[in-house]
Amino acid sequence: MKNKQYKLDIAPGVVLALFSILYLARVPSIQEFTGLGSTPLTNRFVPYLWGSVLLLLSLWITVRGLRKRKRYLAEGGKPQKTDILGALKERWEVVASFVALALYVGFMDLLGFVITTIVYVFVQILILTPKEKWKKTYLPAVIVSVVSGILLFYVFRYLLNVLLPVGLLSVFGL
Amino acid sequence: MSAIMQGLTAVIQPMTIVLVAIGVAVGIVFGSIPGLTATMAIVMFLPVTYSMTASEGISMLMALYIGGISGGLISAILLNIPGTPSSVATCFDGKPLADKGQAGKALAVGVIFSFLGTIIGIGLLVVLAPVLCDFALKFQAYEYCALAVFSLSMVIALTGRDMPKGLISAVMGALLATVGLAPIDSRPRFTFGLYQLNNGFALVVLLIGLFAISEVMKYAETVRQKQDFTIRENVKIKGVGITFKEFIGQIPNAIVSALIGVGIGILPGIGGGVSCMISYTVSKNTSKRRDLYGTGIIDGVVASETANNGTIGGAMIPLLSLGIPGDAATAMLLGGLQVHNVAPGPLIYQKSGDVVYAIFFAMVLAAIFMMLFMLLGMRFFVTVLKVPKNFLLPVVVVLCAIGAIGNANMLFDTYTMVAFGLMSYLLIKSKIPTVPMILGFILGPTFEQNLRRVSQLASSDPFWHHPIFCVLIAATVLVVIFSVRANIKDAKRAEAKEAAELAENGEQ
Repeated sequence: MKNKQYKLDIAPGVVLALFSILYLARVPSIQEFTGLGSTPLTNRFVPYLWGSVLLLLSLWITVRGLRKRKRYLAEGGKPQKTDILGALKERWEVVASFVALALYVGFMDLLGFVITTIVYVFVQILILTPKEKWKKTYLPAVIVSVVSGILLFYVFRYLLNVLLPVGLLSVFGL
Repeated sequence: MSAIMQGLTAVIQPMTIVLVAIGVAVGIVFGSIPGLTATMAIVMFLPVTYSMTASEGISMLMALYIGGISGGLISAILLNIPGTPSSVATCFDGKPLADKGQAGKALAVGVIFSFLGTIIGIGLLVVLAPVLCDFALKFQAYEYCALAVFSLSMVIALTGRDMPKGLISAVMGALLATVGLAPIDSRPRFTFGLYQLNNGFALVVLLIGLFAISEVMKYAETVRQKQDFTIRENVKIKGVGITFKEFIGQIPNAIVSALIGVGIGILPGIGGGVSCMISYTVSKNTSKRRDLYGTGIIDGVVASETANNGTIGGAMIPLLSLGIPGDAATAMLLGGLQVHNVAPGPLIYQKSGDVVYAIFFAMVLAAIFMMLFMLLGMRFFVTVLKVPKNFLLPVVVVLCAIGAIGNANMLFDTYTMVAFGLMSYLLIKSKIPTVPMILGFILGPTFEQNLRRVSQLASSDPFWHHPIFCVLIAATVLVVIFSVRANIKDAKRAEAKEAAELAENGEQ
């Protein structure tokens, strides 16, 4: 029964509506330009336009979701509880991947590309591997992470001139 | 003439030929592995091209694109899982052909007609892009403003039943594009005092977040699910795979499919996924053997594969002449062009003619390599299907991070990459499509800049002096009316179907 999917309208609708309200609230803080060459439509016009359109669309899908919910309940469906913690637990690999990625880019400046990449690739390989296969994965994961961390750093920093952060390894004069 | 020669010279350099060959091979690998896409391959290799010349870099990206779209047929035929969305319709007859023991034939047909589709697409690109450029030279603020509105209106036409969600995505893209210095007066907007945001969000970083990071997260969801498929490794392609008579018999089907592919490629925001489906349906409905479609005939493979490769040339037409990408992969190519300081638009032939011709020659070279590699090296690509993604994807993420850092040599871009990745994942979970966001992000600034100019000009130069503007606005109105009507009909039909299912379940 597709009506169960009303949450896919209500949740994003509410979040996006709040986001568009915050966005619209920031628009008056944009400094307008009124000097020579200024345009009748100022730099606030389009942000107001997009913000309002987004608000309307968000309200549209929220109302649509509420109507779906009403119909679902009228058809004898049971109200569904929102179990955010349960959903996060169910998708722990996704949560862990985002946390690992955030820590990776967050510490890259301090620790440097090589160290963070080695740790990140190793951890991410384990996250993407079913737990029962971890024992067999440790050694290849170490090899892949160390080789990719060092190789990519040298190739991109010294051959392709991408300014990857050196971090702690700068003590070695890299 | 000199630009053509310069383009040719740039492509026949040994270094460029090697780069194109590598690009095609990697593209095929990415296309063939379900879950990895042509867009991801381009994302991965973008940082590699930073230090190359524009011709070398963009030739390699084009090769990745062509390889990526073509590689999808391998898993579509051998696993019944399309390697890329562009090969969805290839499964319909490819898999039954493989079940009949004709996997080699299906693959060979797919490869040959992918080549043909690419070449027809390139031919039309070469012919149509300069015509569109000449036409677009007449464009001023009014016309650009209307073009942006028209292109955005296509989102309504394309999002099917869930129009508001497609529009939300496009508007969010336009909204993200308002961050940074405002057009015309360069006043900062939504920068929160961060100098890194003065230039706004980089297209490349947004694309990495939307199409690469979210794919890795989608894979993370499936870690505990058992991958239940077997790979046919015993694939032999005898000679070229099909007889001359069969080939000639498929030419009309191929031409129609290629034209559909090119036509759909030209429309903003639609990629090979739609073109292969439409072409398959048209081919089936117009064929004398329509009852046999889906049972394993080569006509279905020809229709799907010619169309999706034709889309490549089609999608390049608006990209080069107007700066409007046809799909996610061409949006990535737009990022690549920007990195190499090539500005797509009506003046591209005057300003970067050599690069444009290099792109054309590189596409032909890539198409040839694609056919050779896939016909001769199919066994290798079949083996590649077994590459463990749990090892591959973390390295892809690292390359994404390098791509983000290298875009403007700023670590800050990796933070926005993660934020966009999270946003994209949540949008996908909410069934909000992400491709329209790219259109909004690219067209938003064009719309704003020209709308504000129009507001300045309106009193001295009214809109009825601009016939192209009037035609585009009328076309927009028509697209909106017809799309909304079609969407409402679709929604009603779906509701009726749901109600019927519900009634049926109730009776049981």
